[in-house]
This record gives sequence, structure tokens and C-alpha cells, in this order.
Amino acid sequence: MLATPTAREINLLTDLFEDYTFRVVLFGTSIIGACSGGVGCFAYLRKQSLIGDVISHSSLLGIMVLFLLSYLLTGTGSKSLWILMPGALLAGTSALLLTRLLFNHTKLKSDTSLGVMLAIFFGSGVMLLRWVQRASDPVIPGRRGLNDYLFGMAAAMTTDDLWMIGSLAIAATLTLMLCWKEFKIYVFDSTFTHSIGYRTTLIDNLLLITLVIAIVIGIQAVGVVLMIALLITPASTARQWTKSLGSMVILSAMIGVFSCAVGCTISANYANMPTGPVIVLVATAIFLFSLLFAPQRGIIARALARRKYSLSIDRHQPSEEVI
Amino acid sequence: MTSLLIWTCAISVVTACACSICGVYLVAKREALISDGLGHAVLPGIIVGFLIFADRNSPWLLIFAAFTGLGMVIFFQLLRRTKLVDVDASLGIVFSAMFSGGVIISSQNLRNIHFHPECIIDGNIAAAALDTLIIGGYDLGPRTFWVMLTVLAILIFFVVLLYKEMNVMSFDELFAKGIHLHPNRIHMIWLGLVSLTTVCAFETAGSILVVALMIAPPAAAYLLSKGMLDFFIWSGLIAVVSALAGVFLGYNLDISPAGPIACCAGISFLSVALFAPKQGLISKIIKRSKQRHLLFKKIFLRAMEQNHSGRLDDSNLLWTRREQDLVVRQCLRERLVIEQNGDYIITNLGLEEATSTNFEFFK
Repeated sequence: MLATPTAREINLLTDLFEDYTFRVVLFGTSIIGACSGGVGCFAYLRKQSLIGDVISHSSLLGIMVLFLLSYLLTGTGSKSLWILMPGALLAGTSALLLTRLLFNHTKLKSDTSLGVMLAIFFGSGVMLLRWVQRASDPVIPGRRGLNDYLFGMAAAMTTDDLWMIGSLAIAATLTLMLCWKEFKIYVFDSTFTHSIGYRTTLIDNLLLITLVIAIVIGIQAVGVVLMIALLITPASTARQWTKSLGSMVILSAMIGVFSCAVGCTISANYANMPTGPVIVLVATAIFLFSLLFAPQRGIIARALARRKYSLSIDRHQPSEEVI
Repeated sequence: MTSLLIWTCAISVVTACACSICGVYLVAKREALISDGLGHAVLPGIIVGFLIFADRNSPWLLIFAAFTGLGMVIFFQLLRRTKLVDVDASLGIVFSAMFSGGVIISSQNLRNIHFHPECIIDGNIAAAALDTLIIGGYDLGPRTFWVMLTVLAILIFFVVLLYKEMNVMSFDELFAKGIHLHPNRIHMIWLGLVSLTTVCAFETAGSILVVALMIAPPAAAYLLSKGMLDFFIWSGLIAVVSALAGVFLGYNLDISPAGPIACCAGISFLSVALFAPKQGLISKIIKRSKQRHLLFKKIFLRAMEQNHSGRLDDSNLLWTRREQDLVVRQCLRERLVIEQNGDYIITNLGLEEATSTNFEFFK
């Protein structure tokens, strides 16, 4: 039996949705969920899921460098996304390019090149973060709250940030829609794409830039450490339910929106509940459910099908007399 | 103060050695990113272990957390074996979910105790150096140092014991299976040890340092070495140097040394990747461009030789103007061709060069 919510609980929820700040945060995280869910499908299908981990970790360095630059220029460290985001984009892209350089020109394998770039960029980022936060002089104004980039603090989102996130998300979505056909064919067979005369390097770069955008806008809400989950968990979930790319992208975006909205509401209702991890756990729960119960690929469905098949084989087995 | 600094150095060096030994086989076996996964996934183990045992120095906590790390690997293998999810993605899903769980439990229950969520990332070696081990009234130095030293000893013992098996397994798993070495069993034990190292280093150094030290020094060593022994020595050397440099950098900047050590490990990797004598980026690029020139020269001279008049026929070679000019100028300089009435004629020296089979450079 379902527990009926008491009047006080209903009141709490309606109060929450009437709260302007909460609506901003909810809307912002939903955009992030949709964008990373949709773009994540392409990373997933390219079998490059862990690139997202490297991009998100690396962007911490870009954020810190731009924060320090704004401190040097104006005397106060700025936490406006309009200033920090370009740094994050730049750092994410350069980490990717360096990874590719290492992979193409040295004998290092892809996993090692990824790991090494993650270590370098994230290590330097953490070093700068700790330097900004240290107790001794100089005390940098505006340094409070920088820690939130590690695990995400969606509540800190402002209307200004919402505009930034929205415009970048629209840019990513437009790129995805305009290059839909090219991305689709490239993701499934890059060699074939090259052979029929498409410029695969261009497509690859566009796809990676879209990926970087989708990751970077989520950092404030989910944090650099867990952004990877928002990128790949909805995509892997959607993959269990469908076979076509279009419906996979839409479903994955919807799952992203749902987990972000639920995670955000839970985190706003309880004290000391970081947003990012809650969102990730919601997304993982949906993933586990789909893994078990998806109609054709799901573990249970497959077990049932196998059982049915083995029974039918038993039934049709020729009797010993025939042999 | 200076003795504290020395102990911080000692802890960092031992941690660096242990991590780099773990990393050698991870890099060789192409699963470097498992260390990233372990660095995240042991967190819930440490937190829950702390809640159960209520003593963060308890060895049971370390073992419990190490098994959590191993659990991550098993979950990952199971998910991969269903073939429903891509390999990379399954690793990412498992470790991020476990890490989220850890962060939530710690921020709910342990906000004001030792495990502040921010400590997860880079720990605190300097604070660990203050927590000394006193046995029978003698001050033996920081507890962490002895823990890490024990872990290092276990790792070295294991590697010496199974050196041959580990090498065979890292480079040819099918062959290892064929000669009944039980690669899966050995691999699981090894990952358990890696997980134990991660847990022990995690408390002081945080996840970032573990990942950096497990990947960057071995990756640099991979470019410098040919044999397995070289691999270990270079990797340990680079790890120790970056640990020491990182501690001093951290001391001068007045921050926790984990970030600077990761940064120094990264810088030493980058300098090796750029300047390594044979495998480095610069030497590779130089070698590639030299090979290109040599190949162009050969093709050009061959074309001249085949052309019976010994004159250059533009239509023979589908090169750009620039490439062609480059080759012609080089051949003129080496007197392989001469210019006559605006035409190029191959000399005897050029003929010899064209027919020679001296391909030393292409090795």
C-alpha cells in the first residue's frame, strides 16, 4: 500500500515549486540533464565513454586559471559562468587534443593516454584550488564556494548562469540537429564515412566540441568528479530499450531530465545532501531497473527467452526409436 | 618542523613507490583506467568501514575497503560479461555510482569528523605525518609510513614471487591460459593488492594522487624502457623524484602536497613524452620527417632512372610543387642530379643511389 502524503508534505512540495530560486535551479539542471543525456549517446556509441571523465576533470584547471586571471585583473575572483566557462571549454578541448597527440604519435595505448591527461589536468586544477583556499596571504576575495565545482552545488545557480547554460545547450542541440546524418553515419562506421568522401576529421572534431560543451555546462550542478555518470548512465539506460539512434537520443535526454529533476528536489529537501551524487544515484537506479526489466535485451527477458527455447528444444527432441 | 617535513617526504616516497609498482602492470595490461575506478570506488568501503569499526586505524577497515575495491572490479566484470553495456561505459557507471554513495553517506554521517568530502580528493599527508605510532614508549614515526611500507613490502614480495607469471600474463593472456597459469586467479589477487594500496594511500593522499601516481610514472617509464626490469626501475625513479619535488612545491606554496605531487608527476611524464630519446614526440616527429625526405628522394631518383632520357618529366610524379622543389634542391646539393638547359639530368652518383638497396634509415 502506498503511503499517502500528509498535508504538511504536500505543502512543502508546493512551497518548493513556488520558490523562484528553486525553479531556476530545477530548470537549469533539467537543461543539463537533457543535453548531456542526448550528447552522451554519441560518446557511448563511439565507445569513448571515458573521454567524458577526462574532459570533466580537466575543466577544473580551466576554471581555476580563469578565476585567478579575473582576480589578477579586477581584484576579485569572479564565479560568473560567463567568465569561467570559456576556460573550462578550453581546458577540456586541450586535454582531448593532447590525448589524441599522445595516442597517435607515441606507443602509449588509449587508456594510458587518457589516464595520464586526467592526472595532469586534474592534479594541477586541485593544486590551484588548494592554493586559492589556503589560510595564509593573499586572501583572494570570492574564493568561497569554489569547492562546489568538485561535487556540484546546483543551489548556487543564478538566473545569469541559467542564460549561459541555456545558450550553450541550444548551440550543442543545434549542432546535433544540423549534423545529425553525418554524426549518425560516423558513429556507426567511421571508415565507411571516410570512404564515401565525408571529411571525418571535421565530423570528429565537431562531435568532440559538442561533447565538451555538454560536459562543461553540467559542472556547476553535478561537479567535475561525477559528470561522467550523467553523460553515460542515461545513454546506457536508453540503449537497453531501443534500437534506433533517434529514439535512443530522445529517451536518454528524457532520462537525464528526470534524474536531474528528482535528484535536485531530493537535494533541496535535505540538509547536507550534495546534488551531484544524488542525481547520479537516481540515474543508476533507473539503469539497474532497465538492465533487469527491459523488454528484449533485459536480463530477465533474456533468461525467459532462453528457458522457453530450451523447453521447445526438449519438446522437439527426436525420440530414441527414431535414432 | 623539519622532522615533520622529512616524515612527509618519507610517506610520499613510499606511497609513490607502491603506487608506481601497481601501475606498471596496469599500464602494461592496458587497463590503466581501472586505477581511476578503484580510486573512486574504495570510498564507500572506507566510509562504511569507519562507521562499522569506529576506528580509522583499524586494519579491518583497510581490508574491508580493499574488498569494496575488489567488489567494484567484480561488478564491472559482471556488467561487461552481460554484453549489454559497452566496456568503458560499464566501468564508468559502476565507479561513479559507488563514489556517489560514498559521498552521500559521508556528508550525512561524518560531516564533522575526519572524512570531510573535500579530503576525498587530495587527502592530507601533512596531517598524517602528525599521527605517530608509539610502541613501548618509543616514537616510531607516523603510523601511515609503516602501513605504506608494509604494503610496499607485500607488493614487492608478490612481484618477485610471480614475476615470470605476471609478465607472461600482461603481454599474452591467451598463451598464459594455454600453459595453465590461471591468469584470471592471479589477476584477481593482483587487483586485490592494487585495491589495498589504493585504500592505504587514499587516507593520506586522496583519490587524485593515487590515480596520478599509478598512471603517470609507469606511462613515462613505458616510453623509456625495453625490458620489464627497466620498466620497474624507471617507474619507481620517476615516482620518487616527483614525490620529492611535489612535497617541496607544496611546502613552499603552503598547501597539501597531494595536488603538487600529481602535478609534478604529470610534468615529468610530459617532459619524458616530449624528449625521450627514441619514443619521445620530438624524436618521433624528426625521425618521421627524415624518413619522408629520404623516401621522396628515392622515388624521385627512381623515376629519373626509369625515364630513359634521364630527364625529369613533370607528369611522372603526382607531387605538389613545394615537395618537388624540396626534393630537387636536395638532390642538386648532393650532386645526384645536375641542371642542364633548364632540365634535370641524373648523374652516375644518382644512378648508384637509385639502384642501391640501402634502407638503413627505415628500420
